[in-house]
Amino acid sequence: MVSSFCWGCLTRLPSAPRALLPPTLTAQRVAAFHTSTALLAAKKGASAPKYRQGTSMTMKKKKRPAERTRPPAVGERKALRKRIVLSNPNALEIPDMKEVSNETMVDSRLRGSVLGLPVPMLDQLRAVQAFQPKQGWSIFRRPGTVVRRETLEIARLIDGISGEGEEKGKVVKKIVSGARATGKTVHLLQAMSMAFTKEWVVITVPDSQELVTATTAYAPLSDENPNVYVQPEATAALLSRTVTANPVLSKLKVSREHTGLKAPVPAGTTLEDLAKMGIKDPAVSWNAFQALWAELGAKSAAPGFEKGFQPRPPMLVTVDGIAHWMKESKYNNVDVQPIHAHDLLFVRHFLSLLKPGTGQSSLPNGGMLLYATSASNSPTIPTLDVALKQVAARQAGVRPSAPEFPHPDLYAKTDQRVLDAFDSYGLPAPKEGTLELQTLAGLTREEARGYLEYFAHSGLLRENLTDEWIGEKWSLAGGGVIGELERIGRRLRVNTA
Amino acid sequence: MAWQTSNGLVHAVHAVRRTAQLRPLSVLSASTPLTLQQRQPARGYATEGSQQKSGAAPEIDFSTFKNTPSRIVPVSPAYFSGSPKFIDHILNLEHILAKYASLPTVAPGTAPRMAWFKLLQFREVVGEPVPTKKYKSLLAILQRLNRIEPKLMPDEVQNAMNVFLRPGNPYAFKPVPATLDERGVARGKGKRKAASAVVHLVEGEGEVRVNGQTLVEAFPRIHDRESATWALRSTQRLDKYNVWASVQGGGHTGQAEAVTLAVARALMVHEPALKPALRKAGVITVDARRVERKKPGHVKARKMPTWVKR
Repeated sequence: MVSSFCWGCLTRLPSAPRALLPPTLTAQRVAAFHTSTALLAAKKGASAPKYRQGTSMTMKKKKRPAERTRPPAVGERKALRKRIVLSNPNALEIPDMKEVSNETMVDSRLRGSVLGLPVPMLDQLRAVQAFQPKQGWSIFRRPGTVVRRETLEIARLIDGISGEGEEKGKVVKKIVSGARATGKTVHLLQAMSMAFTKEWVVITVPDSQELVTATTAYAPLSDENPNVYVQPEATAALLSRTVTANPVLSKLKVSREHTGLKAPVPAGTTLEDLAKMGIKDPAVSWNAFQALWAELGAKSAAPGFEKGFQPRPPMLVTVDGIAHWMKESKYNNVDVQPIHAHDLLFVRHFLSLLKPGTGQSSLPNGGMLLYATSASNSPTIPTLDVALKQVAARQAGVRPSAPEFPHPDLYAKTDQRVLDAFDSYGLPAPKEGTLELQTLAGLTREEARGYLEYFAHSGLLRENLTDEWIGEKWSLAGGGVIGELERIGRRLRVNTA
Repeated sequence: MAWQTSNGLVHAVHAVRRTAQLRPLSVLSASTPLTLQQRQPARGYATEGSQQKSGAAPEIDFSTFKNTPSRIVPVSPAYFSGSPKFIDHILNLEHILAKYASLPTVAPGTAPRMAWFKLLQFREVVGEPVPTKKYKSLLAILQRLNRIEPKLMPDEVQNAMNVFLRPGNPYAFKPVPATLDERGVARGKGKRKAASAVVHLVEGEGEVRVNGQTLVEAFPRIHDRESATWALRSTQRLDKYNVWASVQGGGHTGQAEAVTLAVARALMVHEPALKPALRKAGVITVDARRVERKKPGHVKARKMPTWVKR
């Protein structure tokens, strides 16, 4: 029904001053004549009894007083988390345990036994962060590693490269892959211990994730190259690791001029001092690293620097967890777009070693590149999986034009830069090996027996190690996965009898 | 109007009943030689003048003489016992047992397995409230009869026993025992909770794959790995067989224990003699428990909502 009230007449009225108009409150509409009480009641609000609400008994929680204790100092928690204990005085000492040395590392009779790491080398290994927490070093008297088939293979390669034979100066490039807890990181550690035995220069990136999580400083390289970035602090840390772990650097002298550093490098400067320039001043750390890298790859001295030139030792370069480098980093560029990890110079340098280009050698004095994937801490990157399959296919001799050559999914997003990082083109230098994929799996039964005997000798395992018992544990460990064997071996057995 | 009163209605019903009674008599009379005079009038009112029969009674025809007893005797002597059919059965079986008691018998375990009626079924068949204890005594007699040497079993006993068999003897058809296939693979199935597993067991070196993954990848917990391989481990066969399992549904525990059951069944195909050992290891018995359903008005299957005052 249309109201007979004329709204148009009302709107045409001159507007009254706002204060004169009564406020249109609901409560007031109810009782138009008694504005004051209604307004007061409305103001008071929630005094009406709540008939419809449940009145269950609620226990009022007492507020705890705020904790007065001081939080731990900055970095203390991380230090505790990253603490590495390498010895357990309660574990039994194994009297006839052998150490890694020039003779034992290539001795195939020692396969399956546990070789101890020499005590003087432990500081070097700590410096390159070869040990990781939660690897179970703290349950034994002294750190040691099992000699498995892959260990012996790598030992022979290292021995050949540093020897005087045909293999001298060769470059071996491997990507270490495998399931969780199959010993990839320890495999790198074993290679490092052998390299230190042979007095190689060892350069490591123990945690590749740190470089892409935007936790260290970054800056564009220069005004000419604004799209590539250096990470001064991370580079300084790398130099620091390298200097601490490689005393051999103090014997080597510079062989050429280096620009880009704050002061000219005089002849006779040791490589250690060269690196320390970068450590002291992170602003030039990238240039210092490049200078150091050029020096380590030098085959002869430039004129004027011949005095005291020594041939450079082979190098071992290891990177752990390369999957983090195969995606966009957490860094942003000027346009607030994420920077691809391959645009970080640090990352780019280490990835470029995989494919040095025609006639080039990534390590001119020979050596080994060992890049490991991680199965427990790694982002899912389908392109990397395909790239690794392609590496394996090339290693098996499958041509890229063959139908069985793996290709990325056509309907998935493919990162071409990742595929290109592993796709070597051109003819490499004669001593340069091809990129190989090494997949680690479980130990064999004999190796598992040696490993579990090590537990028994250390007093951790009180079992009669029969073949059946070992076979059973081997099966339970998913076919001798070494990390699982360790979990089984260290499980406390409580005898109820 | 007299029809509408109650009295008139009664009269009418009486009248109808009388004619109905008389009509079959007239039909019967067609076979018996009766004269017209002997016929009863259509309406037998008492006030009507009845025609007196004249002469002697007809001769008694002994060929049609009906020997109706003065008192009806029940067929079964147990008629008044309350459960006559059951007692008849018992007496019949006891009689048969006494008759053939001298026949040789076989050991109790070796007699053919018979699916006798369950108590409730038997009660339905005889239609009497048979007590449990008495039915057990009947079963005891049946089992004793069943133990008679099968070659010498008389047909009479067999027929008597067949009365008490459930229709479609469930024990008559036994599944064919599983055998290895031509590649030496045994197949076993198992279920636990919501998981069901199929295991292919073949002689080997102790490799275990679950859904194509290794044991470690499939079961991160050591306990689950141990329970999945328990059938092999408890019989010291873990390093003598390879396991290829595919599991669906459920969680880690359910999947692991479904694999256990399936492995045990597959292992029994390879080595049937291991059954006692496996039973002792607890991998033969099926755990048929499933999640109890949630009920309306409950928070979970049994949990009730918190009590609230008003």
